[in-house]
Amino acid sequence: MTIWEKMQKIDRRILYGILVVCVCIGLFFPSTIRTDPDPSSKSFYAAVQKLPKGSTIIVQTDWTNSTRGESLGHFENLMRLLMNGEHKFVFYSAADPAAPQVARTVLARIVAERKSQGLREYKVGEDYVDLGFFPNAEATNTSMGANLKAAWAGRKSKTPSGTEIDIFKTPVLANVNRIEDCQMMIVITASQSIDIAVQRLAQKIDITALVTGVVGPTVLPFYQSDQIKGVAVGLKGVYDIEYLMEYGIDDVKIEGQPYATAGKEGPVPKTEIGTRFSRGRQYYGTLHVALTLLILAVVMGNVAMFAARRRKGEKV
Amino acid sequence: MNLFPMMLGQVVEESFWKRLPGPALYGFLVLGLLFGIGLCFALSRVPSNMRRWVIVSFTFLAGLPYVAAYLWPIPVAADFQTEIPRNGVESVGFFLNQAMDPVGTITNIIQGFLLGVGFYSLVRIHLTKVKRKQENWGFSIVLLTCFVLMAGFGLRDWQIRTFMDDTGALNVRDNWTFVNYAQDFLFEGLYQQMDSAMFSMIAFFILSAAYRAFRVRSVEATVMMASALILMLNLMGALTFAQGSAINELAGNTNNLFLLNFKINTFADWLRSTMQIPAIRAIDFGVGLGALAMGLRLWLGLEKGGVT
Amino acid sequence: MNLNYDVIKITAGVIATIGLYSILYKENRFYRLFEHIFLGLAAGYTIVATWKDTLYPQWWQKMMGQVAEGDNPAVPGYWVYAALLPIGLLAYLVFNRKHNWMSKIPIGVILGLWSGQQVQVWWNTWGPQIFASMQPIIPTTFSPLAVPSRMEVVGGQVLPIADADRLAAVQQQITNNLYLTQALTNFIFVITFLSAFSYFIFSFELKGKLMTGVNKFGRWMLMIGFGAIFGSTVMARFALVIDRMAYIVIEWVQALTRGV
Repeated sequence: MTIWEKMQKIDRRILYGILVVCVCIGLFFPSTIRTDPDPSSKSFYAAVQKLPKGSTIIVQTDWTNSTRGESLGHFENLMRLLMNGEHKFVFYSAADPAAPQVARTVLARIVAERKSQGLREYKVGEDYVDLGFFPNAEATNTSMGANLKAAWAGRKSKTPSGTEIDIFKTPVLANVNRIEDCQMMIVITASQSIDIAVQRLAQKIDITALVTGVVGPTVLPFYQSDQIKGVAVGLKGVYDIEYLMEYGIDDVKIEGQPYATAGKEGPVPKTEIGTRFSRGRQYYGTLHVALTLLILAVVMGNVAMFAARRRKGEKV
Repeated sequence: MNLFPMMLGQVVEESFWKRLPGPALYGFLVLGLLFGIGLCFALSRVPSNMRRWVIVSFTFLAGLPYVAAYLWPIPVAADFQTEIPRNGVESVGFFLNQAMDPVGTITNIIQGFLLGVGFYSLVRIHLTKVKRKQENWGFSIVLLTCFVLMAGFGLRDWQIRTFMDDTGALNVRDNWTFVNYAQDFLFEGLYQQMDSAMFSMIAFFILSAAYRAFRVRSVEATVMMASALILMLNLMGALTFAQGSAINELAGNTNNLFLLNFKINTFADWLRSTMQIPAIRAIDFGVGLGALAMGLRLWLGLEKGGVT
Repeated sequence: MNLNYDVIKITAGVIATIGLYSILYKENRFYRLFEHIFLGLAAGYTIVATWKDTLYPQWWQKMMGQVAEGDNPAVPGYWVYAALLPIGLLAYLVFNRKHNWMSKIPIGVILGLWSGQQVQVWWNTWGPQIFASMQPIIPTTFSPLAVPSRMEVVGGQVLPIADADRLAAVQQQITNNLYLTQALTNFIFVITFLSAFSYFIFSFELKGKLMTGVNKFGRWMLMIGFGAIFGSTVMARFALVIDRMAYIVIEWVQALTRGV
């Protein structure tokens, strides 16, 4: 048996072991990697950074720990961006009942992180409102577009003093009567809930998205037709946003070259305060290793196939 | 139901349809329940040749509010909270707008009840396995035990947080009771991590499949692999930066800016916006047309075998 | 107490993760055990979430109303919601041989609601995308053939054009014209879309060399789309594995060293 034939018969468990070892080793060497962020990630960053200070943002967080590898980084970056911009936001989920609890845990960690950095602590009922879970994304988004107050009627928010008040009496939603009164809707999702939001709300409010790699290709057509104003896709998207928070668009330069060149969105400054590089930087280097492994696997598998074919041809 | 006082932001008072908590409400609740049971009883008496029409009618009436809300002229800039309709057409428009929320609520409630069928099925299957001591019935006991534990602790935790924690003390972990710890352990400690592990296993299968099965045997496979390879190369920032720097240097040395088009990320961006996005759009468009046709056929009861 | 609890919690998660990963080695009872634990927990949690996020706020509270409490006035209850209980429970008649047709009524209601939305949904999704797919394919100028560059070579280095006026002039030139290369790109865009879409035409038979050729070309274009989907999915799945490994080798080890 030639080496190529042996390679074609390699046990899949060896491949699994190689993947685990490569990934584990990569995790111990996080590094800041120069990159060119995707145009859609730049559009997302620009759209959020250009919001007027103190805007009211709707965050639809439809992810759970099943897609933690990408969505957790997305959500952490988004919370940092919104808090740095002093924006008020409401968050809810319309896709998974576990999603609001997952978001609460992460939000609490980001609030604590900012407190440890001497930054203003975001408070529930004053700076943000937790709406919980709305089953049936189709009906929820349709109701929100038709009559936001009716769609969110009866929901209450805890205040810093521990009491509960109607969400429309909080400083977050006091001036909001319709969905058009909010400045942006941001959807973080691993499912088709972004499609549902765009179908029902894109004509009423600017929508941006943070999606996983699985959903990314089907969301990019919405970006191309301007139905969403920006989208960061997958783990690369997480790193792109952190990269842009650190270097801005056409802002920080090295030897005359900006770290990220401006496209149609124009220059956007970097984020001055708070954490920038975190989970994306930790995982991005390891992604290189994993992707290289996959490409090698595809190439070697095909080389082995061609070599085996050639050998058969010679025998005949 | 008189919607106008609600639209004007006035306090909603008792009416025939709504009662303040008390004996009157509970009496009407029993009435409502009896009405529902009576409706179900009446439906059970429907002759077999009329059954299809009953289901089709329910389907049609359920979809009608959304179609009507989309097609009926509704004032574009109306504030449905504070304004009053000026004529009959606007009255219907306002009514349809107000109806969106109750219709959505009814959907959610019925879906909530429908989910119970799945649980009932799951419990029935595994209880039967245990009762008859079929193969691997021990695992069924494990499943049912975890089911009861999660449901029990979850509901009790919700009850404590909703009705017994006015001051928000449970937001601090030091104030947790055993029930809160148990719910957190089962949900955050076990369920969430296992959910993540299940999804991540696909990566191993992808690697194995890519090695064994991803073969360039036809033009289509070659095109697909080339597209995937270019996208994956573009995901690696280190590689694209290194290659881009080399191209920059070459372009600088030869004073030829045309070479900049051969950067991986430039080519990948071009491929994505020029070929990948329209191809995916075409796929989704085809699927979307099918969904529209299927939706119309289901709504109008034209689909043979459809819901019935 | 909290530190020990954290260690116990993370350790349980790690054991559960490794238990599920054991299927990668071979089918075993360890994996079956954790698989059943996962299913039980998932079903149990769905019941909790269905009650506390759907049925309680949207059905029970609206039906029962609220008694006056402190500053909050009493809220009346809508007794009609009680009728939804028997209608929703019709679904359980699927297990009854005589009346199982009635279980299709609530399903029909849900499908009807979905179908009714498709009319609005279809245009809101595809209207803008149809417009965005109509790209100009006739160039307005042939001089130069390609889009002018915003970069320049200075001292052997490729840099963005430094002179702001010149950069603005180039930008204006790009905005005002459609160059041959852009028109070709747009043409490829339109051809890709139309040929890939032609693959979904099943209403009539595609005869003739031209139509079958377009169909074949469309199939190749679809493969480009599938390649993009494959590449993106690979990144997503690997991200999940990276996160799981980070949970085991970093977070768990950190918890152990902190907890000891």
